[in-house]
Amino acid sequence: MWKDLQDLIYHAYIEFRYLPLFIEIALVFIVIAILATISAYCIILTKRWRGYIKEKRINFISPTLEDMITEQVLLNEELERKVPVDNIEFNREAITKDIYKKKWIRQVLIDMLIQYRKNFSGDVGDLIRKLFIDMNLQKDSFAKMKSMKWERKIKGVTELTQMDTQISDVTILPLTNSKNPSLRVAARNAYIQLSKNEPFKFFDIATEPILPWDQLDMFKIITTTKDIAIPNFSRWVSYSTNKSIVSFCLKLIAHYGQQAAIPAVMDLLSNRDHYFRANAINCLGKLSAEPAEERFVKIYNNQPLICQMEILKAMGRIASGKYLDFLKHEFLYSTNFDVRMNAARSIIKHNTNESRVMVNELMATVTNENQLILKHCNNPLIKY
Amino acid sequence: MRNILVVEDDEIMLKAIRNILNKDGFNVVIAKDGKEAFEKVQAMDYDLVITDLMMPYANGLEIVSRIRNDESKNNIGIIIISSVGNEDTITEAFRLGADDYLKKPIMAGELLIRIRRLLDEKSRSSRKTV
Repeated sequence: MWKDLQDLIYHAYIEFRYLPLFIEIALVFIVIAILATISAYCIILTKRWRGYIKEKRINFISPTLEDMITEQVLLNEELERKVPVDNIEFNREAITKDIYKKKWIRQVLIDMLIQYRKNFSGDVGDLIRKLFIDMNLQKDSFAKMKSMKWERKIKGVTELTQMDTQISDVTILPLTNSKNPSLRVAARNAYIQLSKNEPFKFFDIATEPILPWDQLDMFKIITTTKDIAIPNFSRWVSYSTNKSIVSFCLKLIAHYGQQAAIPAVMDLLSNRDHYFRANAINCLGKLSAEPAEERFVKIYNNQPLICQMEILKAMGRIASGKYLDFLKHEFLYSTNFDVRMNAARSIIKHNTNESRVMVNELMATVTNENQLILKHCNNPLIKY
Repeated sequence: MRNILVVEDDEIMLKAIRNILNKDGFNVVIAKDGKEAFEKVQAMDYDLVITDLMMPYANGLEIVSRIRNDESKNNIGIIIISSVGNEDTITEAFRLGADDYLKKPIMAGELLIRIRRLLDEKSRSSRKTV
C-alpha cells in the first residue's frame, strides 16, 4: 500500500511537471488554500472543543466549590462571633480534600475567590484572602509568574494583586521594566497596589516609558488605592532620565499640590525639550507658584507657541495681579488668536477689582473681534 | 418570614447573598435578570427587593421605577447593590425611589443591618398608616 501511494505521488509529480506554468501556479494556490482552510477549521474545532470541556468541568465542580466557600467563609460561625479574621481556623478536612490537589480545580477556585473578593469587603473579604493563602493557592499564582509566556505572567500578577498578596521586589521589580507593554503595565499597577511603603520604587529603575493611556490607568490606581504612601515626586523630576516618568510625576505633583516640589519643577524651565517645559509650566500654574511668574515673563518671548500658551494659562491660575499689564499687552498686540484668547481668559480669571476695571476699559476701546473674545471668556457657561 | 427578592446577573454574588440572607432567617427568591425580576415581582408579595444596576433585559433603575409606579407594590423596600459609583446614577436611583444604595464590594454585616433597619422602618410606617 505504501508503494502504491509512493507511485501515485510520483505520477502526480510527473504529470504536474509537464503542465503549463499558469496551471502549475493555480494548482499550488489551490492546494495552499485547501490546506489553510483545513488547518483553520481544525484550530477552530479544537478551541471550541477545549472551551466546551472547560465549561463542562467548571459547571461540574462549581457547586462543590461554592458550597465549600459558603460553609467556610460566608456562614463561618467564628466570623459571626466576631473572632478576628487572623485567628479563624478553617476546617482542615474540608479544605485539604484530594480534589483540591488537581490543578484545574485549583484554577477554578482561584477565579471564584477573586470574584467573591470583588463583591465582598470587610471581614468576609479578608476571610476569602485567608482561605486563598491557607489553601496555598498563592503558590499556583507565583508559579504562573515564572512561566515563559507573558500572558500567564500577567495572570499570576493579577491574581496576587486582587488577593492582596505580597510579592517580593526581586520577583516583581524586573517585570515593571519588561519589554512587553502589557506585562509592564500589570506589574507596575500591582507594585503600586501591593507595596505600601515605597509604591513608586520602580520609577528608579524604569527605562521603558509609561505610555499616556497607561498613565491614566496608573493615575486611577494611585488615587483610589487606600493607605498609599505618597512620596515627594520632585526627586524623579530632578534625577530621572526617563522622560515619561518626569512628565507623569509633574502631573502627580500638580494633583497632590506638592509645594515643596516647586524649585525642582522650576529647574525644568531651562530644559531643551519644549514639551517638558510646557508640562512644567502647566504644573507650576496648577501649584499657584507665585515665584515662577517673574521667570515666565522673562522667558515668554523666547518660547514656542505651546509654552507661551501654557505661560498665559498659568498666569491666570496664579493670578497674583502683578502681571496684569503683561497679559493686557499680549491681548492687545498679539497676532495669534489663541494667544489673545488665553490672555483674555487669564485677565478675567484674576477676578479682582483691578482686573474687572481693566476688562471694562478694554471692552470700551478694543476692536470688535477682541470684544467678542472678551465676551466669550466672560461667559461662565463656556469652559473652552 | 420576610420575603426578599434578589436580582443579580452575577451568579456567584446571587448565591452568596441568598446564603447570607437565608442564614439570617429570610425567605429569598432569586432572579438573574430584569425580565425574570418583573415576573417574580408580579407573582408574589415581597417585603424587600435587592437589585443590581447593570443587568440584561432591564436594568436596576427600570425595576425601581416599575415597582414605584405600581400602587399595589410601591411599599416594597428597595436596596441597590452595584459597582457603579458615579454621583448621577446614585442620585437617579434615589430619585426614582430606591431606599438605600450599597457600592460593591459590600460588607455582609452592613448589608444585614441596612436590611433590618429598612424593614423595621417600613413596618413602623405601615402600622402608622393603619
